Amino acid sequence: MSAVVGLLRLADGVLRGEPARLRPRDGWTQAELARVLLVFGMLYGSVMGCHGGLGGDRGLQVLYSAIKLPFMLGATFGIALPSFFVINTLFGLRSEFPRVIQALLAAQAGLTVVLASLAPLTLFVYISGVGYSAAIVFNGLMFAAASASAQILLRREYTPLILQNPRHASMLRIWLCIYVFVGIQMGWIMRPFVGDPDIPVQFFREGSFTNAYVSVWRIVLDALGFQGRK
Amino acid sequence: MASAETPKSRSGVAAWFGELDRLLRGELTRSESLRGGGLGITPWRMAVLILALSASYGLCMGTFAAFQGRSTALMQVVASTVKVPLLFFLTLLVTFPSLYVFNALVGSRLEPGAVGRLLIAALGVMTAVQASLGPITAFFSLSTTSYPFMLLLNVAVFAVSGFLGLSFLLQTLHRLDAQPPAPPPRPVAPDPPPEPLIDPLSEPLADPLSEPLLGPLDRFGARPITPRVQTVFRIWMVVFSLVGAQMGWVLRPFVGNPNLPFSWFRERQHNFFVGVLEALGRLLSN
Repeated sequence: MSAVVGLLRLADGVLRGEPARLRPRDGWTQAELARVLLVFGMLYGSVMGCHGGLGGDRGLQVLYSAIKLPFMLGATFGIALPSFFVINTLFGLRSEFPRVIQALLAAQAGLTVVLASLAPLTLFVYISGVGYSAAIVFNGLMFAAASASAQILLRREYTPLILQNPRHASMLRIWLCIYVFVGIQMGWIMRPFVGDPDIPVQFFREGSFTNAYVSVWRIVLDALGFQGRK
Repeated sequence: MASAETPKSRSGVAAWFGELDRLLRGELTRSESLRGGGLGITPWRMAVLILALSASYGLCMGTFAAFQGRSTALMQVVASTVKVPLLFFLTLLVTFPSLYVFNALVGSRLEPGAVGRLLIAALGVMTAVQASLGPITAFFSLSTTSYPFMLLLNVAVFAVSGFLGLSFLLQTLHRLDAQPPAPPPRPVAPDPPPEPLIDPLSEPLADPLSEPLLGPLDRFGARPITPRVQTVFRIWMVVFSLVGAQMGWVLRPFVGNPNLPFSWFRERQHNFFVGVLEALGRLLSN
């Protein structure tokens, strides 16, 4: 019970940004932030995956989505971080990098807390009987709301850094470019999260290892009436 | 944070990477470091690091072929791992002599050793940036089947790392050129005040460069570099980029077109820019 209370207090602190005013040592540890990301990410992931119900092998979709959501966020973070680290170092911001990691992790953790807070809404919409396509659109809206909130968190965490050195503002833009570029592809290959009820449950969709950008471009070309090459 | 004595206490691989780390942080390109006799790197060590970092990126490039599941995938991985370091060193080999000659011609104070160390350091920065982008390339190699996309992604990675490496080169050149010339031999009876050891003109330079936040890419505006030297280096940067791009074209395939059989080299045709435009056209007309 105390662990749950501790976790909720931690999540509350992440949302309020309380330790941001303190030195990194006095703030959250990276392990704490990772724990928030894992627990709240799994929570929303599991809700996301229960569109098809829990009967039969549909329970597996809940498990898969619970695993995939935090993995998607963590893997995107891990893939984008090395280049961001080198670029920060090159621009003379190495000494503040521990605080930068803390800000980025706090924003990611905050994203999952916001998502988890939206989970009852998602669940309600599922129970009210929306179709698969509508469920996808609704989840897209939830992610958009959570991403916008995470932006606010990220900017708040970055403010002391930017005040110390305005160059951090440019670095933040670079981070968002790298993160979004990798994140879109990561989300694309990790499909399905909701799970089409007409298709058997699977961890990765068959043939999902394609390129998100190329696929979207094909859809645009098709929509404009150009004959796409398959 | 790492103090001045920390790197000395390191040994082996840690010391090697420590040197690269101090270069990336800008510690080796500060005024007080440069005053002690130019860029303080060990060229052969840095060359080995460049080899390792560029080979690691080559490995990431080759993973695209590895995930296509062809029997010659391993050959393509080996070829890419070998060819990326080759690309950097051959480009340097082709462009270094002309740079040195024109540099000397316009009256730069930089000795050949100093120019060599500067270029090796710039390549070190370039390959460090490139290797750090390796995970992104490997991730897309794993998760995409679009060959033109991978080709253009790799061109973008090379362009970003090349831009940052060459920016480092130009800024370090500014700093090197701003250093006062070597002091004349001391008379038998030394002058009592120690101040003349430092050129008074360099005094205003010491302050901005000793700022802990100043990175190796920061513009150095206290005293502009000799315009002619700057022109030579700027022209060289363009030449280096063009030769590098074309060298990449000559040494291709790096990624390995899944529709063509494996070969160590492709036959000579077109040039790099036509190749990039063709790839862009194929990607957009998909």
